Amino acid sequence: MRVLDSRWFKLTARLLVVAAVLGLWQYIAVSGVLGKDAFPTMTGTMAELGRELQTADLWQAVWDTVRGWGLGLLIGCSSAIVVGTLLGLNRFAYLSGIPVIEFLKTVPVIAILPLAIVVWGASLEMKVFLVAFGVFWPLTIQVIYGVRAVDPVVRDTAITLRLRGLRKFVGVTLPSAAPFIATGLRIAAAVGLILAVIAELIGGAPGLGLSILTSVNAGPSRLPATYAFILVTGIAGVAVTSLFAYAERRLLHWHESQRNTASRAA
Amino acid sequence: MTMADLPGATTTTTEPSADGRTASPDVPSVADASVAAATTPSQQFSARSGRRAVSSLRRTVTSVWRLWFFAVILVCWWFLSADSTNTFFPPLKNILTQLWDLWVLGDARSQLWSSLEHFAVGYVIAGVGGVLIGALLWKFHRVGDAVSPVLYFIYVIPTAALLPAIMAIMGIGASMQITIIVLAAIWPTLLNTLDGMRGTDPIKIDTARAMHLSSTRTVWTVVLPGAMPQIMAGLRHSLQIGVIMMVVSELVASESGIGFFILEAQQRFAITDMWTGIIVLALIGSLLTFLFILIERVVLAWYLGARAVEQKG
Repeated sequence: MRVLDSRWFKLTARLLVVAAVLGLWQYIAVSGVLGKDAFPTMTGTMAELGRELQTADLWQAVWDTVRGWGLGLLIGCSSAIVVGTLLGLNRFAYLSGIPVIEFLKTVPVIAILPLAIVVWGASLEMKVFLVAFGVFWPLTIQVIYGVRAVDPVVRDTAITLRLRGLRKFVGVTLPSAAPFIATGLRIAAAVGLILAVIAELIGGAPGLGLSILTSVNAGPSRLPATYAFILVTGIAGVAVTSLFAYAERRLLHWHESQRNTASRAA
Repeated sequence: MTMADLPGATTTTTEPSADGRTASPDVPSVADASVAAATTPSQQFSARSGRRAVSSLRRTVTSVWRLWFFAVILVCWWFLSADSTNTFFPPLKNILTQLWDLWVLGDARSQLWSSLEHFAVGYVIAGVGGVLIGALLWKFHRVGDAVSPVLYFIYVIPTAALLPAIMAIMGIGASMQITIIVLAAIWPTLLNTLDGMRGTDPIKIDTARAMHLSSTRTVWTVVLPGAMPQIMAGLRHSLQIGVIMMVVSELVASESGIGFFILEAQQRFAITDMWTGIIVLALIGSLLTFLFILIERVVLAWYLGARAVEQKG
């Protein structure tokens, strides 16, 4: 059992699984179960990926996606933090606002996409709007909870010390809300990327989603490129989630939730 | 290092609660994250007011009162758009008349049924599959660990990006739409099941072993109930993703469904028709969520009750 739990064994097992999956991909493609024109070989896709990585087009597409995602995230998140904080600090505003926000959160974001497409067309604005709209509602709720979740002892201490206004906000409210906001941001980043790709795929805004679509429409010969673009999208997803998880660990190392994680890992 | 230690799994699981409990990503969290995982803010509010033993009449008045802002928004929309000549934002009155004509009197409803059929099949497969695979990955944790990089990568790819590839393989049709719904909606349930089961108190498992419970019985009586709040949170997130993918698949390639209706109205530049589709879709999305919350209250009644007692004491 010790051997099975050792670090190198686990690593080898993972690598073997990755290799097996890639092998299976190759086998399925070569055997033609899914249709030779519908499913490219793994080697063909990897070679195509290598070629694409050297072209400017791919990097332009990546940049377009990242730009739309980043701007949308920036707008959606900053407004969510402002609105969420305001609603969280006032009980009346909270009780009035929460039904509206809860309702809009359950509305599938995608419903608004056709409207954005007719208003802005296949453009960056359309993509930014969809991302911002999509991340706003869940993050707002997260921020409201963070602001309202001040530890009663901390709150009473702040009252005893007569902390008020900005000083109380920076010293008490913000630190206790920070982990909630961080969790919300990490999720918003992942959701935002999905929405950016959807906006490109359906709305036709330039970016990785559009590259996937055009390469599919170009016929079977461009199929390896389709899968190469899909892989790039996946890598972008990995990059985004790891980046935010890493930033959260670094910035919130002082918070007990992170401390617990650290001590559990040790 | 296991599945949940990966950045991907933490995306759906880590919550900033000090007690180390976890919740689904889109769900708001309060200090007691598990309650947050399983309830909406209004549920938590009503749980709190319930403890204060407010009479049902007063509760109705309170909940109606809390909708005032909602009403104000609708009234504002109605009057501000009343003589709107903007093509994109027709008067609310026209939209509602059209909504009545198309969706209540007309036959646009058939589009809705075809959408919901695909959604229902896809969601059931995703839900059952997610819980099953999650449980298997928990039971055989070494296998789970070995496949985690691959699972993580598939999970992180925005599912919409897979849509063109799946279309190339399966063609356009119901099976393609259901596949894409399953592929997207399975993840929250799977990861939450896995994480919920991993969070089982080791003492409880030891107790079950000391009582010589069979492993199947342990899963049914100890592990599954313990993980249930989180599984439900996962299922709810899956529901929302499922609805989105249902529409996305129809927007990209389909001859029926509500997404197709909206797209077709947009291409005809029938903006008012498009608006009715958007509103119906919004209502469907929130209706399904509220339906789910009702079911969740029944399924988790024991948990919410125990939780309320715990907090009172």
